[in-house]
Amino acid sequence: MEEGRAERRRRTEAPSHTQGGPRRAGVMTDVHRRFLQLLMTHGVLEEWDVRRLQKHCYRVHDRTAAVEELEDFINNINSVLESLYIEIKKGATEDDGRPVYALVNLATTSVSKMASDFAENELDLFRKALELIIDSETGFASSTNILNLVDQLKGKKMRKKEAEQVLQKFVQNKWLIEKEGEFTLHSRAILEMEQYIRETYPDAVKICNICHSLLIQGQSCETCGIRMHLPCVAKYFQSNSEPRCPHCNDYWPHEIPVFDPEKEREAGTSRATKRSLRSRQH
Amino acid sequence: MPRGQKSKLRAREKRRQARCEIQALKEAQATAAAAGESPSACALSGGRSAAVTPRRPQGAASSTSADAALSGTDSDEGARSQDEGSPRSSKGSEVSHRDPLNKKVVLLVQFLLQKYQKREPISKADMLKFAIKKYRHQFNEILKRASEHMELAFGLDLKEVDPIRHCYTLVNKLDLTDGSMHEDENMPKTGLLMIVLGVIFMKGNCAPEEEVWEVLNMMGVYAERKHFIYGEPKKVITQDLVQLQYLQYRQVADSDPPRFEFLWGQRAYAETSKMRVLEFLAKIHDTVPSAFPSWYEEALRDEEERARARAAARARTAAMASARARALASSFSHPK
Repeated sequence: MEEGRAERRRRTEAPSHTQGGPRRAGVMTDVHRRFLQLLMTHGVLEEWDVRRLQKHCYRVHDRTAAVEELEDFINNINSVLESLYIEIKKGATEDDGRPVYALVNLATTSVSKMASDFAENELDLFRKALELIIDSETGFASSTNILNLVDQLKGKKMRKKEAEQVLQKFVQNKWLIEKEGEFTLHSRAILEMEQYIRETYPDAVKICNICHSLLIQGQSCETCGIRMHLPCVAKYFQSNSEPRCPHCNDYWPHEIPVFDPEKEREAGTSRATKRSLRSRQH
Repeated sequence: MPRGQKSKLRAREKRRQARCEIQALKEAQATAAAAGESPSACALSGGRSAAVTPRRPQGAASSTSADAALSGTDSDEGARSQDEGSPRSSKGSEVSHRDPLNKKVVLLVQFLLQKYQKREPISKADMLKFAIKKYRHQFNEILKRASEHMELAFGLDLKEVDPIRHCYTLVNKLDLTDGSMHEDENMPKTGLLMIVLGVIFMKGNCAPEEEVWEVLNMMGVYAERKHFIYGEPKKVITQDLVQLQYLQYRQVADSDPPRFEFLWGQRAYAETSKMRVLEFLAKIHDTVPSAFPSWYEEALRDEEERARARAAARARTAAMASARARALASSFSHPK
């Protein structure tokens, strides 16, 4: 598979010799730098947006060059960023599996990127919401439950009305998603904080049985309790008329979602499917 | 498309490896007694995380060993500086063990990136406080290494703008490819102008005066009222900025009673860009430029146009230079 080749290529470029040099690090040009700058500004981007951004950077800085395959392009950049403990990480939205990319810090055990934009009490509010989300069955925490914790916040006293606005700020900055008065983590937060969450909440954290990544929203087996992301369910049970739990082999009790990656922009249709699904999960 | 299983396993392995190295780094840092992580890193971990407690008493006792470790790395520094362009590998966790400075460089880079995104000036005091801390005596070395990384990876140049107060700023090298866009130096730092340029852009590059005032009024800037920053706003935007060629102010054709409209002045086109203005507006609304799809498209096209124009200008200059060179060469070889 293409991806395998790219991975292998990257590893052979990694140094076995001590001398440094351009070959080891991959080649960074202004195209890559502009790409990094713009990705950084956006925080998180969906794949189609990333591709468009990549083409734009070529057009601005190097029209004659052939546009590198996206995966190689990103691996190239990541090999230069390695020594800075930063990387462009790829993930997927939990509700419909759209690939997303973000520039994340690897070397932190918490959320330093948020820390510079929010006050102490705001960060604590986020932490409270995060805990509720992780502890919940559905991956959603209700606005009411979050706001009820406002008295326990560190730092300056925050009123509920204020807290509502702070929650909206989190949504605008793509740390949280709001759906019908409930909040869950934005794919940006999942990408940036997966490590932190796994280290901080090792008992409460949920993992997908298929991709072994952090799971906030998903389906679970009613018999043995294993969980899977919706897109992982869709892929695993694709065209399987009798879906069974991969762990205990019991009949899988939930509706199998169907995602068409080509139609990723038609959020309207997928949202409609999602709403009917959610009521039947967990 | 979703990643294959093998690719994911490899990625996971790499992540786990990175985590182990970070763990090793942290241990190295603890033993080198750089007590306490930066406040930004601790922000959320205060409550539950066990890993990140500042160990101040230990710090005092083992600071001597830290100095010893640091002086030991000086010889390494010399050898390493010969490989000028090579970024330090994270795979070499043994290297990081011996080089606690590296951790500070990483922290400083992250700090600088945050400051760049918020378009805030950077003071030496802040850098010491949030990133460098105990290694203040190595400030210059850490700064130098961090600047190299910023330039190599992000195309951002760290420049000292105030040598007395030690204030720095990050300049985007990518926009200065032929020195034609020194926007931050020449453009008056007036948010007022940026907002007016933004309104004009959003109204299809020509905005009726009433609509400009509508927006300014929402920000507490009124035509008839003296403003504590901008003075006389009406004079500023209809006269001063027009004279400076940042704005055009003209009567709407055949308007009776006369109405007026604003357009970008030629100096605005020269010193800034639609993308910059859009970035400014996005920041005000706590969002990103691509949240305004049609304007984002237009701004992207504008960027590409400018790049084409720059390339063409470079080609012209190159052609003229080589023509001149040829003329000179021929006049020497064929004396008349």
